[in-house]
Amino acid sequence: MAKIVAIIGWAFVGGATRYGLSVTLPIVAGFPWATVIVNLVGSGLLAWLSHAETLTAKWPNALTVGLGVGGLGAFTTFSTFGVDTVHLLDQQSWGLVGLYIAVSLIGGLVMSGLGVWCARRWWHFPVAEV
Amino acid sequence: MVVVAGLGAAVGALGRYGVTRLVQRVYGNYWPLATLLINWLGCALLGGLTGWQVGHLMTVLIGTGVLGGFTTFSTFSHEVVMLADQRRFGAVLGYVSLSVGGGLLLAAGGLWLGLHLH
Repeated sequence: MAKIVAIIGWAFVGGATRYGLSVTLPIVAGFPWATVIVNLVGSGLLAWLSHAETLTAKWPNALTVGLGVGGLGAFTTFSTFGVDTVHLLDQQSWGLVGLYIAVSLIGGLVMSGLGVWCARRWWHFPVAEV
Repeated sequence: MVVVAGLGAAVGALGRYGVTRLVQRVYGNYWPLATLLINWLGCALLGGLTGWQVGHLMTVLIGTGVLGGFTTFSTFSHEVVMLADQRRFGAVLGYVSLSVGGGLLLAAGGLWLGLHLH
């Protein structure tokens, strides 16, 4: 039950923040920067959170699940990425289509990889020597 | 409108948590099927909603909120990185192309259906 409450609360924060950024950040030259930024930042943070053992070990489980599944899961979005891309395809803005998919995908994977790497480097319990 | 988007996102994220648990109980979590299905469904529904051209309030509540919160990019990226970490490169290729290719096709199909049924 604590997990459900935490997911609801943090998803509210994540979704509201994504909406706030979407109306604050301008669409420069038809390019949906707001979605790119939330997806890249969220990917990095979720990957880091998922592996930051020494930190999350001190937290209640519900907080970690709430932040990850709720907060960062709702902060990032795949549906807007899909529909935005279809709109750009429809406008035959091929360059923007390529740029949007490449930046989102490659950027998301790089950020996620970086998040895992940082967490394993600095937030991991030391492996016991045999 | 920020509150509307937040409330929708809470519903969407809860739905994602439920679907993920259900799919993983039935199918297991060796391959990230749950996120794939969630993102596919969310792309199709957001396409449909956009094609239908609902009002601003419903766009923010259902589109930005519920469907934005239901689908997720961060879990997708993390799952890809974990598959690569396990050196399952075939799964990486399959998961990425199914997610993006399928997501775009479903978003386009939803958009078309929404426009024509409206």
